Amino acid sequence: MTLRPLRNFVLSFGLLLLMAFPSLAHHSFAAEYDASKPVTLKGVIAKVEWTNPHIRFYMDVKSPGGSTARWEISGPSVNSLARNGAKKPTLKIGETVTVDGFLARNVKNLANMKTVKSVDGKILLDRIGDQK
Amino acid sequence: MNPFRLAVIVLLLSLLPACTSKSPAADGKPDLSGIWEMKKDRPCPKDGCPDGEISYQFLDIGAGLPGGLPYQPWAKEVVTQRTAQNGKDDPASRCMPDGLVKLHTNPFRRKIIQTPGLLVILFERDATYRQIYTDGRPLPTEVDLPSFNGYSTGNWDGDTLVVQSIGFKQGDTEKDGEWLDRNGSPLTGAAKITERFHRVDHGNLEVTLTVDDPKAYTAPWTIKLNQVLVTDSPDLIDYNCTENERDAAHVAGR
Repeated sequence: MTLRPLRNFVLSFGLLLLMAFPSLAHHSFAAEYDASKPVTLKGVIAKVEWTNPHIRFYMDVKSPGGSTARWEISGPSVNSLARNGAKKPTLKIGETVTVDGFLARNVKNLANMKTVKSVDGKILLDRIGDQK
Repeated sequence: MNPFRLAVIVLLLSLLPACTSKSPAADGKPDLSGIWEMKKDRPCPKDGCPDGEISYQFLDIGAGLPGGLPYQPWAKEVVTQRTAQNGKDDPASRCMPDGLVKLHTNPFRRKIIQTPGLLVILFERDATYRQIYTDGRPLPTEVDLPSFNGYSTGNWDGDTLVVQSIGFKQGDTEKDGEWLDRNGSPLTGAAKITERFHRVDHGNLEVTLTVDDPKAYTAPWTIKLNQVLVTDSPDLIDYNCTENERDAAHVAGR
């Protein structure tokens, strides 16, 4: 009996696991964010930090009840963005945007962005490599 | 075939060797100079990578090795724990230096500057550097002040630069040394690392890396790290991890 099929299965499964979990250069994505908890937020940008190790921006999001909460959104590094075409900040204070992303595991009102869109649906910022 | 078209093809073919050749340095040695980055062979998930694309070896330095890395029992135990925690305690999360091995695998760029007697590598990640002495000095048997990148000397073996390094930083215990990957494969202060830099062609640099660290591994192991020449920009971009670090307090593990 050969173990090769079993070995190949284990190797393939390991490879799938590696592909399933995204990663950040600075820290493990999965250690801070929960890929099983997607979130969509619409709000007004209050502050932009075009910095390393990650760009961050803060937005005020209105709840259906009328109260406003400030959310912190983390994105890629300045280096990654610059090499993928975003050489200068593409987000403006006061602009209304919609963020699709993932919730932090243990911090309220913190998310990692997947895309940031303007009110007319134009993508202002997105993850690296999704168009390839 | 149209004679004109044939002439163009012959001309292009005659230029091909020039495009793939490796120009020698002033001292006649192969020139490793240029801006390089790790070959990023790991596909992004379908909705994109949250940051730069990376290689499998960034996550697991033993990726592709049959049977994986030959961990000592304690090392296997810490790697299992660190992996189960999604690498939350990776020193990089606290903006600690990457160390020699992760400086090869991280997604940032590096510039090799080759001079007679000294090869310098500048790294974007925390604007750090390596100095590799190629002036014939011997590798010391001991280093008074260990460092994250170690003390390195290099000698040419034909067209391959063979670099040996010792003197890596370690904390109080063997578990408190550098991480070689996101899984947390350890390196202790007893390690000796050998890198064989071989410029395969104009655009590709192969680094064959051997880690001999009997405190953490039952046998020396060797991997290949493929670097590609970057031609879209002559510049490095500073990446200072401490500029606006806010994640360390938020990493929960799972």
